[in-house]
Amino acid sequence: MPFRTFLGFVLPSAVAMLMLIALPLAGVVYLSLWNSYTKTNFVETTVRTPVGTRVERRPVAELDAAGNPVIVREWYGSRNFETVLGTANLAEAWERDRTVAAGGQPASAWQRFRALFRDVTNVKFWGALEFTLLYTAVTTPIILALGFLIALGVNSVVRELKGVLIFASLLPFIVTPVVGSLSIKWLFLDNAIITVWLEQLGFGKIYFMQNAFTTRLLIILVGIWKATPFVFIVLYAGLQTVPSETREAAIIDGANRWQTIRYVIIPHLMPLFVFVTLIHLMDAYRVFEPILVFSGGQGADSLQHLTYKILSDEQNFHKASAAALLMVLGILVLLIPLIIKTYKDQRRAFA
Amino acid sequence: MSQPSDTPNLADRMPLWLMVLTCIGLTVWVLAAAFPFFWMTLISFRLPVDAFSVPPKLIAPFTAEHYWQLWVGDRFWLKFLNSTIITVGVLVISLTIGCLAAYALARYGGALGFWLLLVALIFRALPHVTLLPSYKFAFFELGLWNRYETLIVILVAINQPFTIWMLRSFFMNIPKELDEAALVDGCSRIQAFVKVILPVMWPGIITTGLFSFLLAYNDFLISSQMMNADKMTMTSALSAYMNADDDAFKLMQGVAGAVSITAPLVVLVLFFQKQLVSGLTQGAVKG
Repeated sequence: MPFRTFLGFVLPSAVAMLMLIALPLAGVVYLSLWNSYTKTNFVETTVRTPVGTRVERRPVAELDAAGNPVIVREWYGSRNFETVLGTANLAEAWERDRTVAAGGQPASAWQRFRALFRDVTNVKFWGALEFTLLYTAVTTPIILALGFLIALGVNSVVRELKGVLIFASLLPFIVTPVVGSLSIKWLFLDNAIITVWLEQLGFGKIYFMQNAFTTRLLIILVGIWKATPFVFIVLYAGLQTVPSETREAAIIDGANRWQTIRYVIIPHLMPLFVFVTLIHLMDAYRVFEPILVFSGGQGADSLQHLTYKILSDEQNFHKASAAALLMVLGILVLLIPLIIKTYKDQRRAFA
Repeated sequence: MSQPSDTPNLADRMPLWLMVLTCIGLTVWVLAAAFPFFWMTLISFRLPVDAFSVPPKLIAPFTAEHYWQLWVGDRFWLKFLNSTIITVGVLVISLTIGCLAAYALARYGGALGFWLLLVALIFRALPHVTLLPSYKFAFFELGLWNRYETLIVILVAINQPFTIWMLRSFFMNIPKELDEAALVDGCSRIQAFVKVILPVMWPGIITTGLFSFLLAYNDFLISSQMMNADKMTMTSALSAYMNADDDAFKLMQGVAGAVSITAPLVVLVLFFQKQLVSGLTQGAVKG
């Protein structure tokens, strides 16, 4: 295909990405370096009350000639980043004296570390980072194991049941994430079915929404529920490509079931394990909806949710931009292996 | 993917205990995957006192009150209309420009194509919230906030990296000889594309379209920030009912809303299960 034809075909898509991804990205960098506010002046007014009069100072937005509020823009440099990272709080936390534990005993190294960790994660950004990493670290191995087991199981049941199994598995995966999280939340409300069942089974009344530990547990549960089908379906498709000769050869050589899985199937599926892990790491890093539904950021927060909150509640574009950019730094680390792999693959295709 | 039917199945040699264990495990999984939907649908037709009763009931008096309140009282039909406009708009534009770009990327061997794909891959990995401050700021300043066109264009652009990667992998499977034959017969590139290539691309377009649909339909993050009041989509309108845990009737309307949002998706899975599975495995198995 000649270059000019190529350009013509690619243009609409390329322009869309340039204008609405590349440019906004540059815009976020720009926004993060500034601050802006509505200029206000204090106006003294006399208020009449039942017990006399009182002078009040009220902020009133200054208006320009056209009657619009005057917006002041101010160069902020790294200050937005410092606010998000809580550098002042961190410095203070670092200086704090923790040599004495609660009971008056000298604190052990572990206690001192715990206290420092608590102080650091009390800063919202670091708290969000902590839970994002925890969520990623816990869900990844579980969905890989669970997805693989389900794939093996489905592969060995009779054909008629496969359709039902795949249909049921697709539901959590494709459902609107907010709805999926809500559907689980409604099972765990104080009078909801699973809470009641657990109580009847003798686990006592658990108020799932009232404490940080159970909230975190549920968020992780939703993550597993949603991501396992993806692993299962990819690995199940992979299982269909295991050459039957290899498997038969292993059986003839005397391999038992476990050895066949360990030495034939898992190595064959290795590239797929790597693929789903990479995808899940990226998805887990930007976990959002379960946090929104279950905690609203209390007790468990994520980087994407934190940024969203700064934007939606504080309406602070500048601080949100700084938080967003800090989040991008993390995704770059995750992306590097993927970029290198694609670079190698596609170089070959284009060479 | 295709496999001769006489391949020895693992089931042939399974000991009984393992067979039983597998069946139990799979049953537990199916229940875990589907039960939240089943229960949500069931309680959406009940009064709050029956929906969250102690002990839980399997059978309770029927009421469609919450649906009526939600769709008519709270004008959820308007949100349904908004979701439809947004989703259809995104689907059509995204596939059109995506197909053109993906076709060119599958047939052009120059360095620019390579770099475009690589950049698209990086864009695809960006968390959506990263771009949101810019969108909100810029479209507010431009006076284009809270408009269908704005949200459609944003979702199309965000969707592009994924769309072109996926469509390209489908185009790569169509032999080049097909376009060459058309070109030799006197077609222009665009004619060859429309008359010869597109007709054999339908499976790929449908599969990619499904995922574009899901992205637009399921989006909360961007839609909730770019649209307001009567322009809200169904998914972002749900946020009004989300934290109403102490208002039982409001909560139940939320349940009815969630079921309403889920229903089209269930139909989608019923009809397009095969395409969804093939789309999921497209990137993985073919590399």
